[in-house]
Amino acid sequence: MKTTPHAEALAAVLTTNSISKDYGPVRVVSDISLDLLPGSIHALLGENGAGKSTLIKILAGIIAPSEGFIEIDGMPRELRSVRDGQARGIVALPQELTLVPTLAAAENIYLGMRRTGWPGISNRRGLDRDARVQLERLGQEISLDVPVGELSAVQQTMIALARAIVRDARVLILDEPTAALTDAETEQLFTVLRALRDEGTAILYVSHRLEEVFSLADTATVLRNGHHVWTKPISETNTNDVVAAMIGREHGQVFPARSTNAGIPLLALNKVQGHRVRGISLEARAGRVLGIAGLAGSGRSELLKIIAGVERAQGGSVLLDGIDITRRSLAATMNAGIVYVPEERRSQGLVMSDTIEANIALANLRSLSVAGVALRSRESATAKRRVAELQIKTTSVRQLVAELSGGNQQKVVLAKYLEREPKILLLDEPTRGIDIGTKAEIYQLIRRLTNNGMAVIVVSSEIPELLGIADEIVVLHEGHLTEIVSADQSSNESILHLCYRKPE
Amino acid sequence: MMTLFPPLRSPKTSKNQGAFPRKSFLSRRLASSGTLIGLVGLIALFAVLRPKIFLTPLNFTNILEQIAILAMVAAVQTIVMVVGDFDLSVGSLASLVGVITAQLLVGGMDPVLAIFLALCSGIIAGAINGFLVAYLGLSAFISTLATMTSFTGLALLLSNGTTVFGLPDAFIWLGQGRVGPVPMPVIIAVILVILVWFVLSKTVLGRSWYAVGGNSEAARLSGVNTNLVRFSAFLASGFGAALAGIVLTARLASGHPSAADPLMLSSIAAVFLGITLSRTGQPTIGGTIVGLGIVGVLNNGLNILQVNSYVQQVLTGVIIILAVSLSLFSKKRR
Repeated sequence: MKTTPHAEALAAVLTTNSISKDYGPVRVVSDISLDLLPGSIHALLGENGAGKSTLIKILAGIIAPSEGFIEIDGMPRELRSVRDGQARGIVALPQELTLVPTLAAAENIYLGMRRTGWPGISNRRGLDRDARVQLERLGQEISLDVPVGELSAVQQTMIALARAIVRDARVLILDEPTAALTDAETEQLFTVLRALRDEGTAILYVSHRLEEVFSLADTATVLRNGHHVWTKPISETNTNDVVAAMIGREHGQVFPARSTNAGIPLLALNKVQGHRVRGISLEARAGRVLGIAGLAGSGRSELLKIIAGVERAQGGSVLLDGIDITRRSLAATMNAGIVYVPEERRSQGLVMSDTIEANIALANLRSLSVAGVALRSRESATAKRRVAELQIKTTSVRQLVAELSGGNQQKVVLAKYLEREPKILLLDEPTRGIDIGTKAEIYQLIRRLTNNGMAVIVVSSEIPELLGIADEIVVLHEGHLTEIVSADQSSNESILHLCYRKPE
Repeated sequence: MMTLFPPLRSPKTSKNQGAFPRKSFLSRRLASSGTLIGLVGLIALFAVLRPKIFLTPLNFTNILEQIAILAMVAAVQTIVMVVGDFDLSVGSLASLVGVITAQLLVGGMDPVLAIFLALCSGIIAGAINGFLVAYLGLSAFISTLATMTSFTGLALLLSNGTTVFGLPDAFIWLGQGRVGPVPMPVIIAVILVILVWFVLSKTVLGRSWYAVGGNSEAARLSGVNTNLVRFSAFLASGFGAALAGIVLTARLASGHPSAADPLMLSSIAAVFLGITLSRTGQPTIGGTIVGLGIVGVLNNGLNILQVNSYVQQVLTGVIIILAVSLSLFSKKRR
């Protein structure tokens, strides 16, 4: 790692020169010019689908721009591959780190690098010694004997960083590096990033978490619909400014008005036991949103899955309209009017290789068929109706869901389950990793559904979200119900306090 | 709420939208049709080299007859591969069912009853595979590799390791007879392929097969009984393999304990060749037919050219690799 003399600090190490990228007829990145300066952390902000990922991929050499070019140290360069980019000191850390989980830290750090010694023979002791030096520079003490798959998320991030440093990275690109980290781990990562910056590394930092950006970055760039909105020093902007630029309007009413409907009870849980869940009793009412808060591992997701029939209750009962549905299978529970919208849209919600139409049909095969024969026209009509209703941005219902942005993918998942016309909608982290604009749409949708008499239960790790959309909030602590509170009489702090409190 | 969100991308994009689906359909087809071009190229090559023999209706019928039995196995292999699994036991199961049929017939059983029982034994074998994969959770590779070995052993046991002769003419007609100019195996294969096409593309079961292959967890959470869906794919596979074994036995007029074994690898090759035509990397029955066409035309053409059969085998491998890598290449370029 080289330290850049201060006098050169103003010359951009990496410049994008009017870069555009087209996928078919759609221009996802349009005429973007950016300068990355050595010794500076540059935040790249924008909603999902704004073009951040595409831009990162171009910078890392994964894809080539359709128009424009990259300059490195002022010289136009064409990056043909990731390797090409790394040879020129540009290293990107993807959101899902590309470490080999079965190899130890040292082997991961030096993977694919030519080292001195006997060719083809791995000198484990030498590797470990060098790796330890690198990790010490990052202030890390990481066991070199265990496979990295067994290390914590932050340790894995550090190893990925070390891997970048031994490759003499002058430009580091980080995509949502804190998505899997706790607050303490995030702080640890930031310390290291600041140290790297002070040594002269240019860092491009992509994150949805604005408070992080304001504590870390020196400069911020906002993209919207593939266009460059502005680039400003972080000291000359604020959260409202950024959000307004991201969504192209003032950050107004994100959350809809609360329900005044008292609602009749639809669903009752009676001392439900599960793997983690311990004797939970609660009630969900028609026309109301029930939020479930709790720390990771508090059993909040499991509780939803038990209600939905995805997992079996080990004790207690679940009553829908007074009918015991505790032992019913997932399919039978869906038929009874309860649907569960899973947490991970890619791995649990969607068949990525299929079309919007086929994905929406998947939970509705019976109603969209006669005697086992699927009715293509009815599938199309259904998909078109839902696409219009949920404002899914797509070229046609035959488009592959893999080609949609995260927010639109989430809407397809919702469409699929809403088509069952449930009485009770269970949402597990319904807005994770999607942009503010789509979040607001989903909040409005939830309220619209409850106004039509649906009962909604939402699990979210974002307490402000629960405070905004829920009428009542159930707080869980290690599987026990701590308290049920009214959302409009609670605050972020009071809920968080309950999350950490053991029930009596 | 409706008006708060910006319109799709830019006006330029929406202007193009009317023309977009058709254009993308065409370019998509061209970009991923390396395999299809390969088939046409092969036909053109042999037609130029041996026009008088290759390009005749008689030879066309020959090709169809040669691939008919493989087509039955490949059709059901397509189903298993749609679900995301393999069935390595199809070849040895077809051999086993062939031996069972031959032994029942030699023992004097009525052909209709013998065929019925043979088909049942194939379905039972498929159920065993399906149970191992779907309900016990073993990998399809391991389970069908194991059952393949056992099926071969059973076939050897039931035949004492020799060829079983002496089948009635009424039965042999299934493999050697013709309706007009069309050989019986071709008719049976066409019926099976149409059936598989219908189920795969038009029914709830077909949708479920594709969904489970695409993302089993998403299918499960959508209320699909994924275990049953996988199980049923292997049932279909057992049925198809049994049918192929019966027709092959009739065609050879004898039951041989390893007669159908090579069908397994060829069927997987045909499905793979077909996958190169698909937009999403999922097998389709249409793709499998093109794959079958390549395998059939290649073998037939090389025979006509009197290429040494060992060389033929080498060339078949090379051409499969060429086709698959060509289509990968065209996909990467996009």
